[in-house]
Amino acid sequence: MKTQETTSRPDNTAFTQQRLPAWQPVLSAGIVIPGFLFIGLAFIGIGIGLFITSQSIQVLERDYTGTGSSSACSNCVSSNISCFCQLNFSLSALFPGPVFFYYGLSNYYQNVRKYGVSRDDEQLWGDVSKSPCSTCGPYQYSQNMTIAPCGAIANSMFNDSFTLYQLVNMTKKTVPLDGKGIAWWTDYSIKFRNPTEVYGSLAAAFNGTVKPVNWAKPVYDLDPSNPANNGFLNQDFLVWMRTAALPDFWKLYRRINAGDYVSGLPAGNYTLEIQYNYPVADFGRKSVIFTNVAWMGARNSFLGIAYLVMGFLCVVMSMVMLIVYAKFNTPGEDS
Amino acid sequence: MFFVYELIVRTLQQPFPASPAEACSPLHPSHKRAQNHRCVREQEHRCFKQLPSSTSSTMSAGDPTSADTIDLSWEVRANNRCFHQQQHRRSFLCFTWGKYADNAVRSYKYSPLTFLPLTLYEQFQRVANIYFLFMVTLQCVPAISTLPWYTTMLPLLTVLSVRGLRDLVDDLARRRSDLQINQRQCDILTTQGFTSVQWRDVCVGDILRLSKDQIIPADMVLLCTSEPHSLCYVETSDIDGETNLKFRQALEVTHQELSSEPIEPTLLAFDGCVRCQQPNSHLHSFKGMLDWRGEHHLLDTKHILLRGTVLRNTDVAYGLTIYTGADCKILQNCGQLTVKTTRVERILNRVVFGIVLLLLMVSLLLAVGAGIFEAQVAPRSEVLASVGAGKTPAYRAFLTFWGYVILLSPAMPMSLYISFEVVHVIHSLLIGWDLDLYDPGSDTPAQARSTALNEELGQVGYLLSDKTGTLTENRLLFRQCCIAGVLYGLSQSHTHILRLPLALHWNPFSCGGLQFSDQHLVDRLHDPGCSEVREFFTALALCHTVMAEWKDGAPVYQAASPDEEALVGMARELGWVFISRTRDSMTLSELGHVHNYQLLALLDFTSERRRMSVVVRDSHGRLKLYCKGADIVILERLRPDCPHRESTERSLELYAQGCLRTLCVAVRPVPEELWEEWSHTLVKAAIMAQCSSMLDTLYDTMERELTLLGVTAIEDRLQDGVPDTIATLRQAGIKVWVLTGDKRETAVNIGYACRLLDPDTRLLQGEELRQLLESPDPEAILNNSKRKDKGEEHSISTLVITGPELAELEEQPGWDEHFMALSKLCQSVLCCRMTPGQKAGVVQLVRKHTSAVTMAIGDGANDVNMIKTAHIGVGLSGVEGSQAVQNADFSLSKFHFLRKLLLVHGRWSYRRISAFLLYFLYKTSAFALVHVWFAFYNGFSAQPMYENWFITLYTVMYTAIPVQCLAIFEQVLNHVSLFSGVQDVSAEGSMRWPELYQVGLKQQLFNWCQLVLTLLYSVYTSMVLFFLPFGVVYLSTFDFQAFAVTVATAAVFSTMTEVREEESRKVNQ
Repeated sequence: MKTQETTSRPDNTAFTQQRLPAWQPVLSAGIVIPGFLFIGLAFIGIGIGLFITSQSIQVLERDYTGTGSSSACSNCVSSNISCFCQLNFSLSALFPGPVFFYYGLSNYYQNVRKYGVSRDDEQLWGDVSKSPCSTCGPYQYSQNMTIAPCGAIANSMFNDSFTLYQLVNMTKKTVPLDGKGIAWWTDYSIKFRNPTEVYGSLAAAFNGTVKPVNWAKPVYDLDPSNPANNGFLNQDFLVWMRTAALPDFWKLYRRINAGDYVSGLPAGNYTLEIQYNYPVADFGRKSVIFTNVAWMGARNSFLGIAYLVMGFLCVVMSMVMLIVYAKFNTPGEDS
Repeated sequence: MFFVYELIVRTLQQPFPASPAEACSPLHPSHKRAQNHRCVREQEHRCFKQLPSSTSSTMSAGDPTSADTIDLSWEVRANNRCFHQQQHRRSFLCFTWGKYADNAVRSYKYSPLTFLPLTLYEQFQRVANIYFLFMVTLQCVPAISTLPWYTTMLPLLTVLSVRGLRDLVDDLARRRSDLQINQRQCDILTTQGFTSVQWRDVCVGDILRLSKDQIIPADMVLLCTSEPHSLCYVETSDIDGETNLKFRQALEVTHQELSSEPIEPTLLAFDGCVRCQQPNSHLHSFKGMLDWRGEHHLLDTKHILLRGTVLRNTDVAYGLTIYTGADCKILQNCGQLTVKTTRVERILNRVVFGIVLLLLMVSLLLAVGAGIFEAQVAPRSEVLASVGAGKTPAYRAFLTFWGYVILLSPAMPMSLYISFEVVHVIHSLLIGWDLDLYDPGSDTPAQARSTALNEELGQVGYLLSDKTGTLTENRLLFRQCCIAGVLYGLSQSHTHILRLPLALHWNPFSCGGLQFSDQHLVDRLHDPGCSEVREFFTALALCHTVMAEWKDGAPVYQAASPDEEALVGMARELGWVFISRTRDSMTLSELGHVHNYQLLALLDFTSERRRMSVVVRDSHGRLKLYCKGADIVILERLRPDCPHRESTERSLELYAQGCLRTLCVAVRPVPEELWEEWSHTLVKAAIMAQCSSMLDTLYDTMERELTLLGVTAIEDRLQDGVPDTIATLRQAGIKVWVLTGDKRETAVNIGYACRLLDPDTRLLQGEELRQLLESPDPEAILNNSKRKDKGEEHSISTLVITGPELAELEEQPGWDEHFMALSKLCQSVLCCRMTPGQKAGVVQLVRKHTSAVTMAIGDGANDVNMIKTAHIGVGLSGVEGSQAVQNADFSLSKFHFLRKLLLVHGRWSYRRISAFLLYFLYKTSAFALVHVWFAFYNGFSAQPMYENWFITLYTVMYTAIPVQCLAIFEQVLNHVSLFSGVQDVSAEGSMRWPELYQVGLKQQLFNWCQLVLTLLYSVYTSMVLFFLPFGVVYLSTFDFQAFAVTVATAAVFSTMTEVREEESRKVNQ
């Protein structure tokens, strides 16, 4: 025991002697060529699946900026006040449901940093009495009162509204649009919260605040038809507040999944009545999109093509390697 | 504040002490504060008064002028504490005033007040830290802070505090060791006699009593000792690494006047005044003067006891303290250790600089983009115009520039530096833990004393090795001798026949251990007619500086060099026993008859002189000079008609072929009148200022007209495994140079023995070498001559150069380039007869003219210089003390451990660290560059692609462990070779295929090409990371957060997978 204490002999352990178990794959031709081939084939399979699925998804997009020859709503471009216009389209066959109704904006930089931070998360969590944080500027105060919701994102909320009619026997039949549950669950349940109602009145809870400058109605009055869909928990507001990743984006407006339209939009003529409020003509375009979804989500051919390209590359590489291997193989190397 | 004021006042008052004149006596330490002001004005001017009135001088040379040429402004008065305490050195912050330091050592750097500013100052000397501080500052500006402040602040604070704490702990350890030293006890003379006080209370002018084996607490003038003639012996191993004892002697006058009994009152009454040089770092020179009783006595090195030396073989010594504490010569010598950095680290630093520049440039371009966006796009959109807050596009672009600087800064993260250091430390630990580098005999594991040089071990291009003690064991065995032309001791090839040890029972002093058996010589010794043999042994027993200590009835010799010990020991075994020495006499027992020799002069050994001599008067009154030294210097000093010259030269050649170290022994009968004249000049020369060169010429005049007695041959055995190791290292592509103090033949023979030279190697030396060096194109000549000589091209040559030749060469301009060019054509270079300074010079030469990493290995104090100069210094913990190890970056106990250190640890370290750095840069740049691509889609607004916490934690958490594992555990198990398929290249394999080491030599794993490729690859990765999700997200409902998380996840996964790829890629290089 004593000799062990006095000696400075190093420990004989796997770690100190660097003898920890180790494994190293040997990338020999026998592994690499079949590996590449397998990966390539798998990718091609996935790519074909994705591509076909994507192609089967129908998309109907109509621009209604109002500028340009084919665009609807040209009557509303120069009008400063709220203006109505109509967009007609016809379907030759059933548009299978459930149909999702989006609005799309292009060249709209929701991801500019100053814009993206121009919000007050604490206020949106229900604390309207605090003074809004400085990032909200220049939409912090109006008439010496706190703006609720403050900031540039809220202020620029998309405020066109749409009504869809099917023309059945020359009469307009309203297509029911479902606006429930179009926002993220986390936004609705966790990130956003209305201030506590005062005597059952949401409007009173927002006492001491003013509406954003560009808004027509205060936040507690966004959806007159459904009192539960007001305040910071308004679905359209939630959708808008979740900023887009890129300058060209779609945002979900409504779902068509009720009444006669559960299975989709039947063939026929449709009229979309647009309340044109939102000016984009100076910098970009806006459109409406009807689409259905598959297991992979909305239509996107990019992913399928990417898989196909990678898969083909892998297969070609494995072929090239096979040829090289067959031609230049040295006897010692085939382990 | 009052304290400061008081100090200033006191300082101002110094020249004219206003204190009352009272009798000032040597103080009891406990009274010193109270008696601070009791000083005598008469005594103040004691020294000055005596100066002009100096009429008589004790020195025969009588030249106070020579002393006046040196600045003797340092004044020490014996037993006069108050004088010195008034000029006591004090300091406040960085201001220091006063003259005399106290004897406390203060090696610590920090005080509670100065710790924070000093440690911050030190840490911000690193460019990286300043860079990160700059980033933190940027991040704290709200207008541009694209990342929250904590992303850089937290790591920076961690690094600063960890380093600060480490420094603090080191400093506390230093304080503790200081305290330990300062609290050592010593005896100081006070009015109550000798009192024990702590070292730190010793003051200039104090008289100390030193006892046997005590460490001397301050630099002192020796006053007297208990030995005859006030002689004393000191061991200076702590100062210069020499283990032999050196004698010091008090002045004759102090010896006579002070060593009467009882000694205390005499010493107390001693009121001499020493004037000497200001404190300096020259350990081996001292000039001073003792003024006492109106007389001047010159003082030099032999009167001085240095702090840190140990008193030996002397019961009691008394000394006067002249330099204390920081003024001591040894402390003046404590230089700062230069911090060595590795080439990889230097490249890394430049890379970091390059990356930062690149980021600035990219930021600038993006800022231009931002300016254009702000001017062209933003005004058209009310939303964007409003968040622009009315600033001009140029201003917004300016802000964006800094925003991107911050955003892209994680490409060069703090954690790179932290991880790099951690990896270094673990690699060093692994070296210390290796059982294969552990020597059970001496119970010493290898030690990486410097933790920052590991990867350099994998890139060593030049190994410059000492010979003695490094390649050889430095356990010297007397093998053969040649006396008067007759060879004794069988040559090694025959030893196995006559292995019978000599019967030495007739010799009571024999201790055994002699590896020499030639009865013939013993018979000759006992034959009174063989005067030459007897004279030879007398010379061996007299001409040395060995000290004899008697233990259990047998003499134990303490010698400066192992050669001397071997020779004196051999003489003892054969009956010529060196019994004892005093300052001026030596006693021998020659076959039982005790003889006394009067030692008149000892002409010391120096590396320039390469010989030593003694002048003795034997019991018959005859004067003789015995001289022992290197063959070349002795042979040229022989008298012209000296007998046995040819036969001796032949034997020298023979010994050299047998790898034996030879020394020539010669004698000269000295005529009385010559001695009279010479000794007179010697005394004169000894007191001159520049005496060393004069002494050399003076010694030279005495060591002439010698008669050759014989030659001794000592074997210096090769260490275990040296030939194999050198052969392996050569195979690995490392150039091995041997730098030795030995002579050419020995070096060449050792070179053959340890397989540094192949049997058919051509030696380039002497005149041929000179011609080659002087020719404009040595390569052509070399190739030509090669063809002429052997008719084949691949014959190899080796440069052999000696110290004197090198010194001669150094005077020619441009010689060094020629020399290095020539050496590159050669297999190896042997440098013989090198001084320590020249060894370092050669290392410097290699460093200057090649970009290769140099490694110096040595074991003795003479290798310290070389070890410090080389990129990597390796010290062998061998026989010659620990000086080399103390100054080395790595310490080993055997030379052959070098093989594993370089081929396994070095190779692995280099591979691991290269892979680690490249991968680290790859993963951080790939991660950060995504922002550049995103900039094109967010209006160049410096929008981060990731969540803030993800950016903070990416390098320190999400991707930290794999890269650390790569850097610590990575081993290449298999090596795919073109010729033999898959091979095992584990630790054993690395040593079996030393060619693999060339990867490091050629810097194949970490160079600019690799770096650029890595960066390009990271650019590619970042594009894939961004554009694949971009294609999916484009024109869809995916929001920014989903996009960010997708890209972030992809970044983590792809960089993780890349760890695996990184390793596979390395394998096939």
